[in-house]
Amino acid sequence: MTENVTLTINEKEVSLPSGILLVDAARMVDVEIPVFCSHPKLDPVGCCRMCLVEVDGPRGTAMLASCTLPVSEGMVVRTNTEQVRTVQEANLGFILLNHPLDCPICDKGGECPLQDQTMRFGPGISQLIEPKRLAKKHYDISDTIVLDQERCVLCWRCIRYLEEWEDKPQLGLFERGNETIVDIQDGRPVDAKTSGNIIDLCPVGALTNRVARFAFRPWEIDRTPSICIHCSIGCNVRLDSRTHQLRRIVGRENMQVNDQWICDKGRFAHAWVNDETRLTAPLLRKNGKLTPVQWSEALAYIAAKLTSIKEQHGADAIGAIGSGKVSNESNYALQRLFRGIVGTNNIDHRDGGDVAALPAGLPALADLMKPQYGPDPQVDTIFLFGVDPSEELPVLDLHLKRAVHRGGVKLIIAHPRKIELTRYNGPYLPYEPGAEATLLNRLAQAATDAGAEPEQKEVGTPPVDALTEQSKLPPCADAAVAAATLLLEAHRPLIIYGPMAARGQDGHSVYDGLTNLALATGNRAQLAYVGLDGNAQGCRDMGVLPHRLPGHLPLDDAAARARLEKLWNCTLSNRPGRTYKQMLDVGALAALFVMGANPADEHPDWATNLDTLDLLVVFELLLTETAQKADVVLPAFGWAESDGTFTNLERRVQRAPKAISNPKSRSAPDWMILAHLAQQLGVDWSFPDTQSVTAEITQAVPVYAGLTWDALGDQGRQWDARTLESEERGEREERNTHSHALSFPALGNARRTEEERGERNTHSHSSHSDSNYPLSLVTGTVLYDGGTLFRLTEQMQAMAHGASVSLSPTDAAAIGVEAGDAVTVQSEQGALDLSVAVDAQVQPGTAWIPESLPGAPVGALLNGSGAQRVKVERK
Amino acid sequence: MELGDFLKGAAEIGKAMGVTLKHLRQRPVTVEFPREQIPIYPRFRGKHELRRYDNGLERCIGCCLCEAACPTEAIYVEAAENDTDAPLSPGERHAKIYEINLLRCIFCGDCEEACPTEAIVLGHDFAMANYARKDFVLTKEQLLNPSMPNVIIRPE
Repeated sequence: MTENVTLTINEKEVSLPSGILLVDAARMVDVEIPVFCSHPKLDPVGCCRMCLVEVDGPRGTAMLASCTLPVSEGMVVRTNTEQVRTVQEANLGFILLNHPLDCPICDKGGECPLQDQTMRFGPGISQLIEPKRLAKKHYDISDTIVLDQERCVLCWRCIRYLEEWEDKPQLGLFERGNETIVDIQDGRPVDAKTSGNIIDLCPVGALTNRVARFAFRPWEIDRTPSICIHCSIGCNVRLDSRTHQLRRIVGRENMQVNDQWICDKGRFAHAWVNDETRLTAPLLRKNGKLTPVQWSEALAYIAAKLTSIKEQHGADAIGAIGSGKVSNESNYALQRLFRGIVGTNNIDHRDGGDVAALPAGLPALADLMKPQYGPDPQVDTIFLFGVDPSEELPVLDLHLKRAVHRGGVKLIIAHPRKIELTRYNGPYLPYEPGAEATLLNRLAQAATDAGAEPEQKEVGTPPVDALTEQSKLPPCADAAVAAATLLLEAHRPLIIYGPMAARGQDGHSVYDGLTNLALATGNRAQLAYVGLDGNAQGCRDMGVLPHRLPGHLPLDDAAARARLEKLWNCTLSNRPGRTYKQMLDVGALAALFVMGANPADEHPDWATNLDTLDLLVVFELLLTETAQKADVVLPAFGWAESDGTFTNLERRVQRAPKAISNPKSRSAPDWMILAHLAQQLGVDWSFPDTQSVTAEITQAVPVYAGLTWDALGDQGRQWDARTLESEERGEREERNTHSHALSFPALGNARRTEEERGERNTHSHSSHSDSNYPLSLVTGTVLYDGGTLFRLTEQMQAMAHGASVSLSPTDAAAIGVEAGDAVTVQSEQGALDLSVAVDAQVQPGTAWIPESLPGAPVGALLNGSGAQRVKVERK
Repeated sequence: MELGDFLKGAAEIGKAMGVTLKHLRQRPVTVEFPREQIPIYPRFRGKHELRRYDNGLERCIGCCLCEAACPTEAIYVEAAENDTDAPLSPGERHAKIYEINLLRCIFCGDCEEACPTEAIVLGHDFAMANYARKDFVLTKEQLLNPSMPNVIIRPE
């Protein structure tokens, strides 16, 4: 697309795309130019002077900085002359003047560009006879990063990263001349969610990893390319290990997923992998106490008990919970065991069947990165509905920030909290939980009022009559109009919603509302659901859902069932199973298998219900609250120990190879435990290794057909959403011809549920008006929570969200509490003792309590529907 | 003929006895080892020791360079951060674990060469026999408190 220019580098004529910088051009033709400040992902600044090269110009030969110089036609460049070498030596001499040369105690030693370049281009001797400049050594600029000002060579990379990518200028240069130092602003610690990337960027040891401090030496670690499982972005990382221990995690480049950035949780929160409390042997409850036993004994016990429960209560009294934190292989094996051998569809995971989700995830993460890297944007307006990327998907947050301030993407945000991304001044639409559908219908109406496209009339007018009554709620009327206008004007809008907005009974009306909105804005908007757990998408693909077979196929699809029955050699039930919530709520189950989930910590009622089970089997890494209640606890491999594939939020299947192993542990991969259990139940799956499970997945899940580990490579591969969409569309059309409903059924559904909603809303408003419970409870995910995968990293404890309830400043003043006060938050369901935090992000009339806080399960306050009202009282 | 042989034999015996008689007057070249010690060359490379500074701080900073230099992977080091109030070594870093496997060590002295602080040196102790394999792994405590302390400071 771009034109090429011809230039001469070191007497060699090369043709390269115009517009690129000389330093990049040299790299493309394998000519090495040493750099410190220049970085391909950061804007050029030209401050280190290391990259000076000889360029012939109109006024003769000049020494120019190749990192700020774009290539041009006929340019003549030399990088290997005596003059260039002299300048490089002199520059390195200057850079090293004040460098402390404490390489033996520096964590960068061994992988330090300054060391490497000094050895290659340096003078070999120092001319300094005066004492070196002294500055602050090893002081913490956050809980995870150490700064050593003496080692700094003032390349600005960290400053530029925080400005250009994070858009949070939290580091800066202070003083002048010889005294110049890099430092934090006004003593405020760096708190950007992806701040750890400046450690990777630093070309010297000025910024080092606080958590992995002195725990590794670059020459003695094993490097395993892997992926991160903390959230559904699936960032590519490298696991550095030694002596069976995971020592450090660094980012790995994948231009389709995470560029080369990873978030701080992914980088630093890995202490759980090597934790001493990890389970190492199967535990069986004997005389009320969990006792270590042999695998054979534990599995034989489960098989016998399971068979007797099935005979006594039937297959549907048995349920299984999968997890978005374990691999596709393990989730697949779980649902195969329960569908094929036990014969029940009681299979689900957290945010599974309870959420009105779309099967295909984001169209492509690269689309959101395109505004930065390509001239052909795939997305120009993004509507975030009930998703807070800053807390839930930090690298998506990074992409979005860049897309907004570099790519001119418009951002519309609807969220109960005024989330961080609202600072880009896009329309912000606050809503109270439970009022999502109302808001969406108001938006759809605003879009219709603003003059929707005529083509939309063909598919049915939005239910305006039903909406007019709802549209009285005033606070964001202007924003709604602005948002609707933006969506109408957009050429390629994308609507992203998350599980928080689409949970429970209201989920379907939210989904319908979003579909309506997409229709009302001309049906161009793409609608995407993003799960939050690392393998949330893979979990759905594998069919860990009560109403879907593997590959998102409905249970009543006879052809799909027949195919699976042949593959698994069994008969499959077409009765929809219980969802995650139903399995835990009612206590009608006799046996429950929990793999990689901790429901007892979510809801006190669920914890009680787990006690009433005849058999509770837990596959876990640690003795969690749920595992403590189990009859059998089976020690499982974590993601770093097992080999497997994970599917990220854009359907990219990626491999996470085995990086470490614990020789003292008897734990095993989840799929292997399940295969042995199947054997005990009389079915031989004959899976010799993980790859054979993947091979069977490609047979059982149509959209995964043809995937092999070789094909995945180190960058993963997306499965094609179009195959699924064509199936879905066919199915939808079929349904329409049968029911003779509107040409697009979602509209009909929306109208009906809207009427129901109207009643429910008036109900909730009446309880609102009696002012017993004046606040609306908002819950959701925070990055630094009290979950097991985070809290075991001691160094990050101070960053964790404490057990607190956040109130808006006005509400806090009205109740008469200040930050830090101890309060009781009460709902009709229960009460929680928390401390108060005052947060301007929280909207008046709402109280924000995140999920999985240490010792404060917000589930205690929830009744299961989206809307929950609470009151906050001083203790 | 026979007489000639006899005389020849007697002369040989006399010669041999002469050697014996000559050495009878000389001091023995062997020593009664455990009771008697022989002097050791100053640059002899025996059992390792970790040294300290005069103020008692450990010289070792846990940089792992000895470990990298070791041709037989006999050394294992884990570094850790110093407690600022009670540091074990000058600076930020010290060795939390320092182990040398004597069964692997070939006493080449590369670790001494690599050490930036002259912390690890090969001493003069060569009597390293032991009964159990695990006793051949020297721990940091053993290395810091050698049976023959502070033998040498090598001029090179």
